[in-house]
Amino acid sequence: MERRKFLGLGLGVAALSLAPVSVVAKNYRKELPDAWKIKNKDAENDLTGTNEAIKAVFGTDKTEEGKIKLYKIPDIAENGAVVPVNFKMDKATKIAVFQTANPEALVAIFDVPELAIPDYGIRIKMAKTGTVTVVAEIDGKLYRASKVVKVTAGGCGG
Amino acid sequence: MAKMRIKAKEKDGIVDVKAMLKHPMLSYDQAKKQGKEANFIVYIVGKVGDNVVYEVSTSQFLSKNPFLKFKFKGKKGEELELSWIDLKGETASKKVKIK
Repeated sequence: MERRKFLGLGLGVAALSLAPVSVVAKNYRKELPDAWKIKNKDAENDLTGTNEAIKAVFGTDKTEEGKIKLYKIPDIAENGAVVPVNFKMDKATKIAVFQTANPEALVAIFDVPELAIPDYGIRIKMAKTGTVTVVAEIDGKLYRASKVVKVTAGGCGG
Repeated sequence: MAKMRIKAKEKDGIVDVKAMLKHPMLSYDQAKKQGKEANFIVYIVGKVGDNVVYEVSTSQFLSKNPFLKFKFKGKKGEELELSWIDLKGETASKKVKIK
């Protein structure tokens, strides 16, 4: 079989949000290059960086509580290099993860295609104690859920 | 470890995927300390045929050898292709049959 070209490789695919089937591949490193650079303030659990990054990703930082369920995220992470972050909700179009513990606030942006079920797990690095925030766009509104994770051994030092 | 390990199991029409990607995910800070260039996966996409079932743009803050969990509607026997691209433009891809 002919080797298929990897979609989105430096091509800046235009968004076809009404496509009947999920064919769009959106690489946010290309689409929103500045969002990844937004920095966190040094103060512990300071949400300034997070809120700025939310605005950069979603256009606003006005969010409501509810709808997002965070699970299997530890209260205390002994190893800051591997902190599991899991979240789920009934539906969503876009989800982003932020934290206050590292130099920059934005961690990941998920586009939720039609066939996907919004139940995701990733593992992140946290340099110190911080607040992990998950923001989801559901039916055109933004929701957020946060959790403070205490880190006893920082994860960015290597 | 091979470039990536993927387990995809279907139950009641929902495919549960657990994947482990091999990548140092060196953040800018870590790279500076080690005298290397920062490099980390920036985009991951999962497709079944032409349909995108998973996609995420990622940062230097994912743990080394990223572990991912995700779900989508699918059937046994279908093929899931997971691909990623990193900051340097290198790519990797793997196909597995949904069990």
